Amino acid sequence: MEFFLQLVLSGLVVGSIYALVGLGFVVIYKSSSILNFAQGEFLMLGAYVCVAIFTTAKVPFLAAFVLTLGFSALLGVALERVLLRPMIGEPVISVIMLTLGLASVLKAVVQGIWGTDTRPYPEIFPTTPVQIGPLPVSQGYLYSVGSVLVLLALFSVFFKYSRAGIAMRATAFSQQVALSMGISVKRIFALAWSIAAVVSAVGGVLLGGVRGGVDGAFALFGLKVIPVVILGGLDSVAGAIVGGMVMGVLENLAGGYLDPLLGGGVKEVAPFVALVAILTLRPYGLFGKIKIERV
Amino acid sequence: MTLRSRLAVAALLVLVAGQVQAQEVKVGGIFDLTGITSDVGKPYAQAVRDCVANANASGGVNGKQIKLVDVDYGYKIPEAASAYKRMTEDEKTILINGWGTGDTLRLKDSVNADKVPYFSGSFAGDLTDPAKTPYNFFVAPSYSDQARAWLSWVKEDWKDKSRKPRVAFFYGDNAYGKAPLAAAKQFCAEVGIDVAGDYVLPPNFQDANSQLLAMKQAGADYAYINVTTTGVSLVLKGARALGLSTKWGSNPYGFSEQLPLVAKELAEGVTGVMPHVPYGEDVPGMKAILAFNKANRGGQAHDALYVRGWASATVWIEALRRADKAGKLTGEGVKAALETFRDFDLGGLTANVTYTSTDHRPSTKCAVYQVKGGKLVKLKDYEFPRRPDWLGL
Amino acid sequence: MRCGDFRQTYEQDMAIFDSAFGRRVFLLFLAGVAFLPALASGFWMDVLNRILIAVIAATGLNILTGFTGQISLGNAAFLAVGAYVTSYLTGRWNLPFLVVIPLAGLATAGVGMVFGMPSLRLKGLYLAVATLAAHFVIEFVISHWDSVTGGVNGMSVPPARLWGLVLKGDRPLFYLIFPLTVAMLLFAKNLFRTKVGKAFVAIRDQDISAEVMGVHVFKYKLLSFGVSSFYVGVAGALVAYQAGTLSPETFPISLAIDFLGMIIIGGMGSILGSILGAIFITLLPELLRLGVTPLASHFPELTTLFASLKMGVFGLAIVLFLVFEPDGMAARWHSIKSYWKLYPFSY
Repeated sequence: MEFFLQLVLSGLVVGSIYALVGLGFVVIYKSSSILNFAQGEFLMLGAYVCVAIFTTAKVPFLAAFVLTLGFSALLGVALERVLLRPMIGEPVISVIMLTLGLASVLKAVVQGIWGTDTRPYPEIFPTTPVQIGPLPVSQGYLYSVGSVLVLLALFSVFFKYSRAGIAMRATAFSQQVALSMGISVKRIFALAWSIAAVVSAVGGVLLGGVRGGVDGAFALFGLKVIPVVILGGLDSVAGAIVGGMVMGVLENLAGGYLDPLLGGGVKEVAPFVALVAILTLRPYGLFGKIKIERV
Repeated sequence: MTLRSRLAVAALLVLVAGQVQAQEVKVGGIFDLTGITSDVGKPYAQAVRDCVANANASGGVNGKQIKLVDVDYGYKIPEAASAYKRMTEDEKTILINGWGTGDTLRLKDSVNADKVPYFSGSFAGDLTDPAKTPYNFFVAPSYSDQARAWLSWVKEDWKDKSRKPRVAFFYGDNAYGKAPLAAAKQFCAEVGIDVAGDYVLPPNFQDANSQLLAMKQAGADYAYINVTTTGVSLVLKGARALGLSTKWGSNPYGFSEQLPLVAKELAEGVTGVMPHVPYGEDVPGMKAILAFNKANRGGQAHDALYVRGWASATVWIEALRRADKAGKLTGEGVKAALETFRDFDLGGLTANVTYTSTDHRPSTKCAVYQVKGGKLVKLKDYEFPRRPDWLGL
Repeated sequence: MRCGDFRQTYEQDMAIFDSAFGRRVFLLFLAGVAFLPALASGFWMDVLNRILIAVIAATGLNILTGFTGQISLGNAAFLAVGAYVTSYLTGRWNLPFLVVIPLAGLATAGVGMVFGMPSLRLKGLYLAVATLAAHFVIEFVISHWDSVTGGVNGMSVPPARLWGLVLKGDRPLFYLIFPLTVAMLLFAKNLFRTKVGKAFVAIRDQDISAEVMGVHVFKYKLLSFGVSSFYVGVAGALVAYQAGTLSPETFPISLAIDFLGMIIIGGMGSILGSILGAIFITLLPELLRLGVTPLASHFPELTTLFASLKMGVFGLAIVLFLVFEPDGMAARWHSIKSYWKLYPFSY
C-alpha cells in the first residue's frame, strides 16, 4: 500500500510539469484551434535562455527568469506575426506541419548555439527533500505544483473577468462574430502565442531546476504532453491540469507495476495506450467542449 | 569570377585532391558528437582524431599518412549505415573506428561481408566470438567482464554473511543497455548474489522515481547503472531524493571524471568499472597523450573517455603498420595483423591486448574505481580466466 | 500553335499524358534512370535506392493525406511493420521476394486499417494524434517482442531471393526497386481515374457532401488507409532488403515527419508531388554534406554543427514552402510548364 501511495504521489508531482506544458497547448488551441507540436521546443528554449542569461549577464537568477519570460513573450508574438498569420484558413495538416517545421528549426537553433551537452543549472531549490506522507519529494516539484495552482487561478480570473480573456473566448467561439464585435483576432492570436511561450518557459526553468540542468531531452515533453491535453480536453484549462496529474500517476503506476512484468518501457508507452482508449471512448476529453464533428 | 568558373575550379580542386591522396591510408570514423551519447562520444572522437594526428606526425603507417574520414551520426542508426556505405564504397576506407552498440550491431553483417575491420566503442561481449563476428574488434575487457569485475567487488564488499547481497540492474531500453545483462546474471548465480530485479530507463528519461520505488520495494543492497553519465546522475539524484541507501555502481560510459562534475556530491562513494585509466594517471602510455596535448592544446585536460579513444586508435594504427609491413594493407590483411597481437602493451592505458583467430576478447582484466572526495580512486583489479563458455557472452 | 487545353473527349481529359510526345519523353526519362547504375558510385547507388523507396512511401502517404485528407503520423511505424514482416518471412521461411513483398504490403495494410478505425469517429487533429499513438504502440511491440523481432538487438535480413537469383547490394537491388516504383506510381496515377480514387478525393473535399452523393465514407476511408499502408509496407520491405539489418532505432518518429515533409514540399494530392518531395527531402542532407565537407577541413566545428544545420534547413524548407508555396513543388512545376506553353502571350 505504501508503495502504491508513493507511486501516486510521485506521479502527481511529476504530472504538475506536464500540466504546465499542457496549459500552453490549451491556451493556443482555445483561441486559434492550432495544436502546437513545437511546445516542447518552447520549453527547452526557455530553459536554455534562462541559464544563458544567468551565466553570461551575471544577474541574480530571479532577474534572469523574468528576462526569460519577457523574451518568451516577444518570441510568441514574433512567431505568430511571421509564421502563423499566413496560415489562417489553411488546412489542419498544413498548420500541424508548420509547427513541426518550427520545432525542427528551434531545435536546430538551440543545438547550434548551445551544443548538446547538459548545461548545469544553479541550485535554485534547496536540495533537501520535503517529506509528504510516505514520500520524500524534492522541493523543485513543490514549486512546480505551486506554480500550476497559481496559474490555474490566474487563468480562471483572466478568462472570466479580463477584457483580453473574454475576447479570447469570443474568438474561440466564433472568429467572425468576434471580428464584428470589434475584437482584433490577430492581436488575440499573438497574445495566445506569447502566453503559451511564457507558460512553457516557466515549465522549462522549473524542470531545469528539478533536473539540475537542461539538454535536448526537454523537447520530448512536447510529445509526452499530447495525451495529457487530449485527456483533459483540448480547450479546457482545468482539464490540462487534471490531465497532467492523471497522466503522471498513470505513468508511474504502469512503470511500478507493469514494467517488471513486461520487461520495461511500459512507463513510456502507457500514456499513448490511454490516448487510444480516450479517443475511442470520449474524444473530447474529460472537460472539453463536446463539439466533435462526426461523419 | 562567374559562378560557373568558380564551380569548375572547385571541381578541378576536388579532382586534384583525389590524385594527391595516393600515399594515404584511409580510415573511417563514425562518431556521436550530437546524439544521445554525445556526452561521452565527443572526448572519444577527439582522442581518435588526436591519436591519428600524433601518429601522422611521427611517420604515419611506415611513411604513409593516415586520413581519417569521419562523420557525426548523432546516434541515428540509419545515418551510420549510410555513412558506412559512403566510407567503404566511395572513400575505400580499409578500417572503421565506430562507436555505439546500436551502429555496431547494425553493421556487423556488412563489415563481415565487406571485410572491413570495425573498431567499436561498444564492448558488448557478443562481439568477441570470431565465429560470428570476425571483423569486430574493440580495445577493453568486454561489458560482461566489466560487470563481472564489479559484481566480484560487491561480493567482497558484502560483510553480512547471514544472507546473500541483492543486486539490481538499471539499464536503457536498447542494445547497449542490455548487453551485459545475461552474463551478469549468470555470474550472480555462480558466485552467490541475488538479483533484485531489472529496471528499465527509457531514452531521455525525466525521472526514475517509479523504478527507484520498485527497487526499494525489492530491497536491493547494490545497483548497477548501465546508461551514460547524464542518466547515471539523474538516477543518483532520484535516489537521494527518496533517501535510498543502495550502493551504486556504474558502467564505463557512466563512470569517469565527468561523473563527479555532473552529479557533484551525489557521486561520492559511487563505484564504477574503469577499463581504461583516468586521464593523467601515472602510467607509461600516458606520456604520449600528455605530450600531444601539451604541444597542440596548451595542456588541456581530458577524461577517461579520451584515453579510451586513444587506446582504440593506438591498437588499430599498430595493426595498420603490421599489415603494411606484411604487404597486405587491406581489410583482410589488417584483420590478420590484429590476430597476431599477443599481450600488446598499451603502456598501462588499458590491459594488454591479445587477439587470436578464435578469440577476440582483447583482455579480461578490469579495475573497479570509487569516487572519493570528488576524485576517482582505484579499489582493485579483477582478472578472469578466458573461459570458453564465456566467449561471445 | 497549341496555346491552351483543347480536350474534346473524355478520353483526352482522363489521359495521363497530353500528347504522344509527352509519353515519349517520359519513357526516355525512365530509360535514363535505368542506366544510372552505370554511372553512380556505390554511395550514390544507396542514395538512389533510398530516393526510390521514399517515393513509394511518400506516394502511399499522399494517397491517405493528400488525396483522402486523413492525417497520419504513424508512417514510420507502418514502414517498420513492412520491414519486420519481410525480415521474418525471409529469415524464417526463406520465401522469395515475389511472395514476401506483397505479403509485407498486405500485412501492413491490415495494421494500417486497424489503426485507421478511429477515423470512423475522428477527424483532423484527433486523427493525427491517434496515429501518433499508433507509432509509439507499434514501436513498443517491436522492441519487446524479442522472439519475432529480435527486440532492441534487432535482426538480420537475408538478401532478396528468387529461385537461384540473389539480389545482394545496391546495384542488383536497384533493378528490383526501380520497376516496382514505376509500377506502383502508375497504379496510383490510375487509381485516381477510377471510382475509388474519385471517392477518396470527394471525402477530402467535403465528407458530408460525399456521403450525400452516395459515397460510403467509412468504407472508403478505411480503404484509403489500407491502400496507403500497402504502399508504405512495400517500401518497408525494400528498406529491409536494402538495410540488411533492422532494429527499432531504424524507424524513429522523425522519419514519419520526414515523409509528411515530402508531401508538403512536393505537393499534396499530386503523384508528381510525392516524387519531387521524396527526391528533395532525401537529397537535401546529401547535397548539404557535399557543400559542407570541403569546408570542414578548415572549420572542424562544422562537423558538429552539421546535425543542427541539417535539422534547421529541413524545418526551414517546410516552413518556407508552407508560407510561400502551399501547393508544393508540383504546383510550381505546372505553373512553369504552362508559362512556357503560353509563352510569350502569358500574362
